[in-house]
Order: sequence, then C-alpha cells, then structure tokens
Amino acid sequence: MLFLKECKKVARSLTFWIYCIILALMFFTNYYSDVRYGESRPSAYEQDYGTKVVEDPDLIMDGAINSLMGEFASNRYICYPFGFYKAVSLKDNDRNEVEKLIQELTGTDHEGISEFMDEAQVNYVEHALSTYPEYVFNTMIVDKNVSYERFKEIMGEIDDILGGGSLYAVDSLAFNFSRVPMTYEEALKEYEDSITADTMTGALSRLFCDYTGIDLALIPVFVAAAFTAADRRRRMTELVYSRKISSLRLTFTRYAALVTTMFIPVLITMIIAAVQASVVYSGEELKMHLMFTTPTFWLLPEIMVVTAVGMLVTEIFSAGVAVAVQGVWAFISLMSGSNELYGDITKFGLMCRHNTLYHRSAFMETYNDFVFNRIFYMILALVLVCAAAFIYNLKRGGRFNGIRLFGKGGILRRKA
Amino acid sequence: MDNKIVIRKMNKFYGSKQALFDIDLTIEQGMFGLLGRNGAGKTTLMKTLAAIHKKKNGKISVCGIPIEKESEIRAMTGYLPQDFSMYPNMKTDEALDYLGALSGIPKAERKKRVDSLLRKVNLNEHRHKKVKELSGGMKRRLGIAQALIHDPKVLIVDEPTAGLDPEERIRFRNLLCEVAENRIVILSTHIVADIEASCEQVAIMDSGKILWNGTVQQLLDNARGHIYTANVEKQFLPQIKKEYIVTGILPQNEFTTVRLVSDAEPDLPNAVMTEPDLEGAYMYCLHSSGCEVKGGEE
Repeated sequence: MLFLKECKKVARSLTFWIYCIILALMFFTNYYSDVRYGESRPSAYEQDYGTKVVEDPDLIMDGAINSLMGEFASNRYICYPFGFYKAVSLKDNDRNEVEKLIQELTGTDHEGISEFMDEAQVNYVEHALSTYPEYVFNTMIVDKNVSYERFKEIMGEIDDILGGGSLYAVDSLAFNFSRVPMTYEEALKEYEDSITADTMTGALSRLFCDYTGIDLALIPVFVAAAFTAADRRRRMTELVYSRKISSLRLTFTRYAALVTTMFIPVLITMIIAAVQASVVYSGEELKMHLMFTTPTFWLLPEIMVVTAVGMLVTEIFSAGVAVAVQGVWAFISLMSGSNELYGDITKFGLMCRHNTLYHRSAFMETYNDFVFNRIFYMILALVLVCAAAFIYNLKRGGRFNGIRLFGKGGILRRKA
Repeated sequence: MDNKIVIRKMNKFYGSKQALFDIDLTIEQGMFGLLGRNGAGKTTLMKTLAAIHKKKNGKISVCGIPIEKESEIRAMTGYLPQDFSMYPNMKTDEALDYLGALSGIPKAERKKRVDSLLRKVNLNEHRHKKVKELSGGMKRRLGIAQALIHDPKVLIVDEPTAGLDPEERIRFRNLLCEVAENRIVILSTHIVADIEASCEQVAIMDSGKILWNGTVQQLLDNARGHIYTANVEKQFLPQIKKEYIVTGILPQNEFTTVRLVSDAEPDLPNAVMTEPDLEGAYMYCLHSSGCEVKGGEE
C-alpha cells in the first residue's frame, strides 16, 4: 500500500526524528514537570488565592486614566506590538491628539492637565544610558459624563495613535487594569470545577494541548518541507513525475502519511500524559478519554494545516521559504496572544492557548469559537493540499518550474 | 492501436528561448537511436515524449494516444532520465517496489515483476543492498528495471551509458536490445558506438533540429565518398587538424594514419577513400548540414 510506504519514508527521515526529539523534550520539560504533583484543594486559611480578571468599568477606567496620565506626562508609552517591548515617544501632533482625548476623559482643559502634572509624584528611572522621569498618578478619575462605551472608544483611538499593542488596547483593558483577588470560595469553585465538571483530565488535557500546540505550530513544517523537497534533493523527481499515479492521489497520500506519522509521537505523549494523570490523581474519578479526544481535536488540525503550508510553499518556492513562512505565522500567532494565556481563543488564531489547569469557565465561554477554529483549520488544510496537488501537477507537466527567490535566476537576486 | 510514435511540426520553448524546432519524426518498434552533441536538444525531446515537458505546438502521438493525455502516456511509457538517483537508504528491491506502486501495479503482481526484473538486470543478488551501496553501473541497471516495472510499450532512455566502464556499457546495450524486442526503445546518446552497436534507426539532432532521420545504413551510405585515410608525418598533424575534420589518429612507426572527413579528395599524399564508419558518417552529417564541426582541432 502506497500510504504505508510513504509513512515508512517519513519515519526514516532525519527531520522526523529531530521532530520527535524536540516534541519529547518540550513535553517533559513543560507539561510533564508542571503537573508532576497534583493540585491540592485550597485551604480556608491561606492568605493569597491568586487573582482573577473581571470586566469592572470603574476599576478599568480608574486604572487606565492614571496609567495614561503617567505615560503622557513622561511621553513614554510602553507597548508590545507583536509581543515585543517598545517604548513609544509621540511627536507634538500625536501628543496633542492624546491630550485632547485625555481632556475629554477627565473633563479638564490644558491648564488643568498641566497642573496635575506639576503636582504629580516624579521618580527618575535609569534605563540603559539615559534617565527619564516617571510620573505617578493615583487620584485621576474619569469624568462621570463619559460613558464606559465612549471611554473604550477613546482608549481604542489612543491605542491606534500609539501603533497598537499598548496598555490601552480595548481587548486588553480588563487584563491590564481590572484584576481582583480571588476569595477562598472562588478558588474552591475553580478547583471544584476542574475536579468535577470534566474531571481533572479535562483540565490536564487543555494544559497538554496548550504546551504541545506551541510546538506543533512550527516544527511539523520542517518535516513536511524536507519530505516534499526530498524527490528533488535525491534526484528522483523525473522518475516520480513519469509514473502513472495522478498528482492529486500522490499529493494526498504523501500528505496523509506525513500527518499520520507526525501524529504518532503526539499520541505517545498523550499516552504518557494519561498514565501520569492516572498516577498523580489516583483515587479521583477521571475521564481518561478526555486525555485523547481533546488533544486529537485540538492538535490534529494544527498538524494538518502546518503540514499543508509546508507542502504548498515548498512546491511553489522551496523548503527554506516554507519554514520561514510558517515560522513567521507561528511567531505572530504566539505573540499576538502573549498577554492572555487563557480565555483568548479566537476564530482564526493558529494556536489555541489555555495555559492553566483552572478557568474552565473561560474556556467554555470561547468553546464555540474553539470548535469553529479547529474545523476551519482542517478545511483550510485540505484546500491547501488541493492547491499543492495542483502546483505539483503543473510542475510535473513542465508548465511551472517553481519560483526561485535567491540564487541563479532568483527574483530577488534579479531585482538587486 | 498503431505501434509507433509520430511527431509532427513540434516546437518547444523554455520561456522565450526556442529549444526544439519543427520536429518531424516517426519512431517504429525496435531500437531507435537519437544522436547528437551535448545541448543538441535530445533530453528536451525525451522529456517531452515522456510527458514531463510540455510542447508549445505541433502534434505528438504515442501508440495512437495524443501526448496531451498525460496519464495514459505515462502508463505506457518507461523513462530513464540522464541524471537520476533514488532514495539512498531504500533497499534495491524496495526502491523498485515503491516505483511500481506509483505506477499503480497491484502488490502481488509487483512482487513478481520486481523478482523477474532484478534477475533480468543481474541485480538479484544485490536486492537487499541499499541504493547508495550500488555502483554506477548497477544504478543504471536498476534505472532500466524501474523504467520497465509497468511493462511499458515505450522505453525512453536518456544517455544511459555515460560514465560507465566499457564492460558495463556493453552489458547495458545488450540489455536494451533484449527489451526492445516487443516495444519501442528510444536511446538518446552522444556516444556513436552505442548507436552503432544497437540501433537500426537513427536520428541526428543539433541545436534543437533534426538533421538526419533514417537507417544506420543510409547514414553510412550518405557519407560514402567523403571519408578518407592518409599516412602523414607526425609534424604535419596540427596543419591537417586545422584543414580537415579528423575522426581518428593512429600512430604507426614512421608515420601516422589519420582518418578524416572531406567534401573532396584531400590534398594529402597517399590519401585514399575508405568505407565510412558511423562516427565518420555522423561527423559528415553534421558538417554537410552546416554545423560547425571541430573534429580533431585543438
């Protein structure tokens, strides 16, 4: 059977074994060590039960306006565009725009703002070779005539002026300014939710998927790209091109072999995680099937789409470009959700993050988006494989030779 | 279904550069030699016939099937490229079996064919060796076996003997003659001896054009009266090489016997007309077609 032969070819490749090693290392150093000891029931006599994010308009508005005034006064705004730290200083025009918005928020005019700044506490912070003033505001409040909706609009405008990724990005307001301590009852409920609602295995499987999903957003592309480029590298192309098999069947068989073979190591880590769960939580009622069904539905679409991207881009350009494209996509996906490690599952994000054993309710709130997301990526993967088969067929009939970016005849070289 | 390949007014371009010009050829069952210099367009023609290159215009039919029906053409064609290899870590029989699977042969039949072909190409005792452990000649024989795995009506072999030692070359040619008994075999080469030893029909290509098409005997007849030998003193050799197309130099005791191509009787002492050999006939064909020929010139 051709499928098994292709699986064997994948399993014999060096990149596949590197993939396995990376996957194993990441599994044991992240997930396995994190859940080595079971979570214990919160005690009524603890001092700190952690915090939780709530959307409290008063808290958000108070926190945001004081933070904004401080950054405005020092003209130094901390932003994280794509997850990277960036200190933004505004030019006069933009600064005036921000001031107008602050005036609207506080119901104060230019002189009033200047007065606030004069009275503010100033700390001088050394950063690298320079020193800058850090203004601290604690007493600013948003004018009561400004509704919460208008406040959010203004925050959005300020975030746009700052280039995005600021503390005032509307989606991040609650996360940045509205954290409240959890009570014993809340902490207990979180724990009970984890234990009872879908038993501990539901929580464990989500954490497992969070960690493994980060790896699978990138490393399958190495195997897929190397495998797709193997015929050319081994000078097999013409021997394969001249066979009777259709391009669609060959591409799909190879794709299925790649996905299946790459899923096997994931399955093995799933088994290890399930065994670990049964040992750590022995005595608890566990739904063991969740250790397999959740990761399969969560992670398989990711392997599918990353493999499909690897195959398609390798057919059009080269294996190197495929790795670069997937690398950029994975990086953006990882960084775009860097502020919130749970409860931030979107319809189109490549990685679905839920880096906690708790907050099941936050996951369930986005469950529909999660299901949509995974089905979307499965379908997208199949579309990309069809496109890869189409390109393969063009190349096979001598109608397309691929696009070279670098080297002799490369389009980037020619421009240079 | 007719058992021949018919090519009519076929042109092929690489981008804006024309690689093949108005090719007209009819190739019948048996061994057909395609002779030409490196870069003459032989490989392009072979790839076009194997349906892995697309022609610009003209017509090609393979055993009655238009070349546009790529799947059917591939099913009836076996192709051995000039520059090929196989997955180095696969065993010999495994590589053959894999390519058989790509040709859509059922498992049971594939097993029989792999066994029989490995015996035919004398690789049976090396069947468990990895491809990377095979010598150049063995790889070429494995190449022939893979091209025959689906029992094609047409076998296209591109420069199969390049780089082989004389013994392997003879063995390979004999193998080709064996398999040509009931199919069309197109042998593309720049080595005249390969054509001489195995083909009845021959076409000569240069710069993307067919210069000659006919039997080997007709090619020899065409050169009759233009091949000479002469015994000359060694010191005159550089001068002779400049003036004539020298196809052979045989040093004797006191003088050197040169074999040369000339339109008219050469102005050399002792020059005598001689029976043409295929190498001389090939050189004469190139020369009479207006190609620049540098036989012997340094």
